[in-house]
Amino acid sequence: MYTILQEQILKRVKLTKEEFALAKTYFIPKKVRKRQFILQEGEICKSLAFISKGCLRNYSVDDKGEEHIIRFGIEGWWISDLHSFTTGSPSMSSIDAIEDSELLLLEKSSYDKLCAAIPKIEHYFRILLENTNSAAMKRISDLISVPAEERYLNFLKTYPEITQRVPQSQIASFLGITPQSLSRIRKDLAEKK
Amino acid sequence: MKTTIAVIGAAGRMGSGIASKLAEAGYRVLLAGKDQSKLADLSIRIREKFSGADIDTLDCSKEASWEADIIILAVPYSKEIEIAEKIKDVVTGKIVVSISNPLNQALDGLTTNPSTSAAEELANYLPYSKVVKAFNTVFAGSFYKNILAGKKIDSFVASDDKEAVSIVSNLVKDTGLNPLPAGNLSVSRTLENMALLLIRLSINNNYNGMAGWKVLHP
Repeated sequence: MYTILQEQILKRVKLTKEEFALAKTYFIPKKVRKRQFILQEGEICKSLAFISKGCLRNYSVDDKGEEHIIRFGIEGWWISDLHSFTTGSPSMSSIDAIEDSELLLLEKSSYDKLCAAIPKIEHYFRILLENTNSAAMKRISDLISVPAEERYLNFLKTYPEITQRVPQSQIASFLGITPQSLSRIRKDLAEKK
Repeated sequence: MKTTIAVIGAAGRMGSGIASKLAEAGYRVLLAGKDQSKLADLSIRIREKFSGADIDTLDCSKEASWEADIIILAVPYSKEIEIAEKIKDVVTGKIVVSISNPLNQALDGLTTNPSTSAAEELANYLPYSKVVKAFNTVFAGSFYKNILAGKKIDSFVASDDKEAVSIVSNLVKDTGLNPLPAGNLSVSRTLENMALLLIRLSINNNYNGMAGWKVLHP
């Protein structure tokens, strides 16, 4: 249940066994079934969710009822509505499970206590947030300046595993294009081969 | 996120009463227990009364507790630690409700040392969970007839975690009883003795389980 979390933390900071044993006590283990929500738009995002197993998506819904996927999350990743989590304001997005998943939830108060108890964890989260921020900046930049076909190819290269696990319609939503456009792009690419 | 509640021992009299009321109140309820046919019957009964009930049956208390946000141990005192052993890895940070009373076989005394209680023993066993005492002073019949002599039956709630007391008090309210926050978990010693007294009175006076505690105040 905690192996992947331990590996992910150890990649970035050197935590002793004792420190990890203490860190574990701050996390709430939670199983969710496919299609279940862990956050619904308008709720306050109370926890950061580490994914031990499974696949989830973070998305918003527009006035026409159309879903726009902000990001996916698979094993070893964190998923949350960071703005809602840090400010305590209602979330503008929802998070649900694409597959049956196993999570380790870190509530805001536990997050603060854990960072105070183990400063190395605070350092871990600083690195994580820096990476999240630069990934988000890159995504915004790509969305406004890179052609859809290139964005799709980048997606395949960067997230090969997600490509296998998520329906094409959801990948299209993530790329900000219609499913029809994505199938055109895929057809064009197949012909080029 | 919809709150998911696991009722371990859901086929029992207390468990089925609590589970039915919580399902009716709109929670997602996981009915866990050994006897799957009894649980299937219970599911049918709940859905007959409330077709929109979000319920599932599970034969594994660990799986149910893993999926749940709140766990209600609707099991006898003698089984409480056995279940705690099974679920302890998946209840970190979660509310675990103890409803049991450590009654002796003759039903005329408690088996625990006066300096502790069933709930405190459970809390020692689950140091990273928020153990709450609730529902232990009410009879199972109270979930079906919650008003006696014109008064709504009280159900006391005790825990060292104030937020957990507030959350469980809301659950108690949703089962149709009147929640009464009673203090820290050590108050369970008194609450478990109050259950013993109520059982003695019920036996001696033939209340037939139609009795409950009510604190009167202006």
